[in-house]
Amino acid sequence: MEFGIFMELSVPRPWTPASERQVYANALEQVRLADELGFDYVWAVEHHFLEEYSHCSAPDLFLTACAMQTSRIRIGHGIVPCVPQYQSPIRVAERAAVLDILSDGRLEMGTGRSATWTELGGFRADPDETKKTWDEFVRVLPKMWMQERFSWEGRAFSMPERAILPKPVQKPHPPMWVAVTSPGTEIDAADRGLGCLGLQPGGFSESEKKVNSYRARIENCDPVGAFVNNKVHTVNFLSCAEDGDHARRSGLKVASMFSYMASQLLSAKEVLPTHSYPSAGLLPALRRESGSPGDAAKSFKGVTMGTPDDVAGAIRQWEAVGFDGINFIHQFMEVVPQQYVLDSMRLFAEEVMPQFKVAPKSEPVAAGVR
Amino acid sequence: MPLAGSLDIRSLLEDAPTVTMSDRELHVDDVDILQVLYEIGFADLESLLPPALNPTIPPVITFLAYRARESAFGPFSLVQLRLSARAGVRPRAFLVSAFCDNPAATEELSTFWGYRIHPGGIQLRRFHDRVECSVVVDRRPILEVALVDPQPITGHDVQYPPGMHLARVEDAQGVRPRLVQVDTEYEFRRADRGRPELLTFSPEAWGNDRLVPTEPVSASFAACTVDIGALRYVCNPDLPASEGTERVGPSS
Repeated sequence: MEFGIFMELSVPRPWTPASERQVYANALEQVRLADELGFDYVWAVEHHFLEEYSHCSAPDLFLTACAMQTSRIRIGHGIVPCVPQYQSPIRVAERAAVLDILSDGRLEMGTGRSATWTELGGFRADPDETKKTWDEFVRVLPKMWMQERFSWEGRAFSMPERAILPKPVQKPHPPMWVAVTSPGTEIDAADRGLGCLGLQPGGFSESEKKVNSYRARIENCDPVGAFVNNKVHTVNFLSCAEDGDHARRSGLKVASMFSYMASQLLSAKEVLPTHSYPSAGLLPALRRESGSPGDAAKSFKGVTMGTPDDVAGAIRQWEAVGFDGINFIHQFMEVVPQQYVLDSMRLFAEEVMPQFKVAPKSEPVAAGVR
Repeated sequence: MPLAGSLDIRSLLEDAPTVTMSDRELHVDDVDILQVLYEIGFADLESLLPPALNPTIPPVITFLAYRARESAFGPFSLVQLRLSARAGVRPRAFLVSAFCDNPAATEELSTFWGYRIHPGGIQLRRFHDRVECSVVVDRRPILEVALVDPQPITGHDVQYPPGMHLARVEDAQGVRPRLVQVDTEYEFRRADRGRPELLTFSPEAWGNDRLVPTEPVSASFAACTVDIGALRYVCNPDLPASEGTERVGPSS
């Protein structure tokens, strides 16, 4: 199993220059520690306009800081919205290549398309188009990185022949992923040979079906890049302490706040009838349409909270489902003290992580399966 | 924490409907529904909603028009102005006000579900190139809204969040100000979506001159069966929904 940390960079009100700086400083401290402790990935989201929920609108800059302060951890740039109103794929390719250079070849490229009206509407992007533009972006990005010069006449963008520079350090190109929230996106991932970056903790049986269909499908995929990134990661909440009750209380604070804030977002599906978003996006299971307004967000089975034994037990269940990795959210809206987060990571690394560590996998090979 | 409503409900309570608690349900077989959404400005956003509700970012108003060809009260049309909200983790729509052209339907909807309804002349007309709705009060149009260039979709793609209606609720404990949650189920026969178009809107006629549309979002049309369920939940409007929600009805 691989383990990562997942950064939303949420900033509670009242916003001050000091509070945003503190959230970024705390996150960087967590990343440095994760690097020391042997976590495999740090992922930073890209969100826009999501008040409090995420102030991580320039993740490439944040991740550059991460890269410069670490030596080993892989740099997860994701999810990058592949929506031309947000950014040209040319700029995505260029910035990602720079990040790969500055991290000395540690970039992981996560792709996606946004799920909120807050973001899509803010850029006046058409939610009906985002699947199509995502598909075009993921096809052109590897070409931009691998070809000396590149030209394109497409639906989302066009360009005459130019050299897109610099080129990434990793050859043939950095591993590519797609965020999976909407049903069926795991199939899109498999068909294109992309890693499946689950952003939605769900039930074991539902997850197992998705993983199995991904694994079956990717065997005969037509990869968009030069190699297949056959990996399935999920997301979970990490809170690990010797006192299991304390760990669960702290972890549930984070999980509850995350779910509460996620439910405040205005999803694209909610305001625009579209086939393009068959689920409500983030954590739809936590926001049933009817029911009591007094209900709290519900937790889910397999949450990685408690003593090291509790956490290891939950991870074994996810491993049995077929996941290769888990990316942990361990802080949200600064609801638990920074010191608790660091202690939880340390205990996890000392007592849980070694139980799941295997010898490093071989490097990607051209046209092979990574 | 997310922004929370700060609306002082006292002024709205003066003409709020009085709801009699009951297990009343309403079934209407043949209803055309036009829903048009627009963003509004953020200014003083919190003061548009009672403290029980959280605003959405961005705030969105909805024109929700029903035309019932037949019902227990005969044909009627109802047009609601709703403001997007959250009650705890639930998507909800706060009813600002509504207009109806049938006094018996008005009485029923006000008494049992807390619809804040004024009388008005309503037309909801479906053409192949557009669906349009108008509301006229004292011979003055206060709303002219349309869906332009309809394209077929499935009913699953259309969402109508439950309404939260400010009312005086009358029960064994007396008369209390409450937000009543109105749960409505829809069985779709057809659905379309298209481009929203707003030709006339007088927000002051709907009770809040600050609800000024700024950005079109979407428009949908549906032909369906509508079932308004018996009230199940009411909220103290002055408390967060997580603290002030009560189960009501037979199983409470």
